[in-house]
Amino acid sequence: MASTSISKAEKSYIQAGLLANPPRRADGRSLHDFRVISLETGFAPLSNGSAHLSIGRNPHNGSGGTDIMASVKLEVESIEEDASDGGRIVCNVSCSPSAYPHLTSGALDDLQYDLTTVLHQTLSHPSLHPKNLSIIPRKKSWLLNLDLLVTADAGNIYDALFMAARAALWDTKVPRTRSVEYKSPKSLSSASGDMDVDQDTTSGFDTRKVAHATDFELPDYWDEGEILEGRERWPVAITLNLVKTIHFLDATLQEEASCASRLLVVHSYESPTSPTVQSMRMLGSEELSILHLKNLIKEAESHTNTMFSSLTAKLEDEDFRRNQKARERFGKRR
Amino acid sequence: MQSAFDRRRINGPEDSYHPVFANEIHESSSHVHRIRENRKISDIRPIFLQPGLISQANGSAYIETESMKIACSVYGPRQSKNTAYNEKGRLNVEVKFAPYSCELRRSPLRDAEDRSIAVAIQQALLSSVQLEHFPKSTIDIFLVIIEADGIEGCIASGSIAASTALADAGIDMYGLVTSCATAVKGTDLWIDPTQEESNTANGTLILSCMPALGIVTNVWQSGRIAPSEILACIDACNDRCTDIHSVVAQALLDSAPNKI
Repeated sequence: MASTSISKAEKSYIQAGLLANPPRRADGRSLHDFRVISLETGFAPLSNGSAHLSIGRNPHNGSGGTDIMASVKLEVESIEEDASDGGRIVCNVSCSPSAYPHLTSGALDDLQYDLTTVLHQTLSHPSLHPKNLSIIPRKKSWLLNLDLLVTADAGNIYDALFMAARAALWDTKVPRTRSVEYKSPKSLSSASGDMDVDQDTTSGFDTRKVAHATDFELPDYWDEGEILEGRERWPVAITLNLVKTIHFLDATLQEEASCASRLLVVHSYESPTSPTVQSMRMLGSEELSILHLKNLIKEAESHTNTMFSSLTAKLEDEDFRRNQKARERFGKRR
Repeated sequence: MQSAFDRRRINGPEDSYHPVFANEIHESSSHVHRIRENRKISDIRPIFLQPGLISQANGSAYIETESMKIACSVYGPRQSKNTAYNEKGRLNVEVKFAPYSCELRRSPLRDAEDRSIAVAIQQALLSSVQLEHFPKSTIDIFLVIIEADGIEGCIASGSIAASTALADAGIDMYGLVTSCATAVKGTDLWIDPTQEESNTANGTLILSCMPALGIVTNVWQSGRIAPSEILACIDACNDRCTDIHSVVAQALLDSAPNKI
């Protein structure tokens, strides 16, 4: 994905800096340092969950950097085949033309397809599926639409997309529903004393459970709902940019253009000590030996560990800020 | 409402459903833990590979495993039109599912799944072709999937067919690319999974490599796999790829007399 075109001299200069001892990068970071990441959840009041993430934004005037806006919208869906019973998740990434001014609309569509495919294939996998997306079993369920909008790209797009997706899904609240059953009114025509008509008595031996619920309602219109189940499972991604024998993280656009290949590994931390790999993709034209590939996978795990714990801490902090602190501030005003 | 979405074709009814046969209903409930009949979990299905089937193309190959049939044709190197000067050649992979290839009919127009398979196959082949020898040129690889058996099977068999077709076309390459897919079910590794096996698996992994040089060109993984199992999958796929490499080499040798 060459977002910028750079000359061979510049490419070799960047590579020489990365391979030097000690390694040198344009902004003085070490090989495994990330740029400043800023995250805000709940920026979209109309969505069921949202997050705004940027990597490498200039702290003084808020410009530059990779900028992603993620939002989750829940829709009610009638189940047609068994596949959507229990709800389903659809991910969509759209790239704003302002983020990629040099790409034609066809190339932009292709880029959107590629980003969408990686995200959708990873996040909609049954192993990550949350359990509270069903409304009426076998009749109605929630369709979760996760939409990510890339408004600026300054490198490291995959890590940003997965982080924003995780934050938006963490923030998502599913409205509580109550099943409603319709009963036909009893006929009022028979006079009370004329005939003794036996009501249909339910036998104690009848153990069938027939689902009568045909519709549902929201018991509390203002209630945001319950948290989407499985929020610890949502994965984080790390892109290892490869130059000969070394790898580095969080590449800027120029660094991405000078390294020929990348390995994207996505981990999920359902249990905090043993992560599982949810997705892996190789991008680029350089080759890897099997041993090198295995080492990179191990390194990816250790890098993701740090990223995951800091992201979770920030998300919990955001939850606290929006709920507890907001209440305290409101209480002080009265 | 206009029901003719595509005026060039005779459209069927808007809604249609796949018929369910009576004996299928009983079978489907026992699918979940069905043991493989006919082969061990560490065996791949037998491969039929025939290069040179499409005479119009510079190179071509047809691959068939149990229920996966892919025809591949290579055109090139030919002039790149409409693109800026590039000193390395371009490799352009296009994949198309035939409408009758899957259980549910696929649209004759291109969709996103075609492209994701094409990207994976291109990634697998990119480092095997000596693109520096073809500046300003494009090598077009067209794959038609006649019968599909899961995405993993398509990517694996597709890259084998494409590599054979490239060799059949006489394009300069560093080595032959072969691919193998593995599905993780519980603690077992099932090599070369069918579609239902990969649907019921925890996760799947596809490895594309050049066994002659011992390097990996593409790794594609989806689903939930523990890191230790990933390393085991990579080893298992690598061994199988070496076996497939001899099949490909033999097929090319057998078809060589026909080219002269």
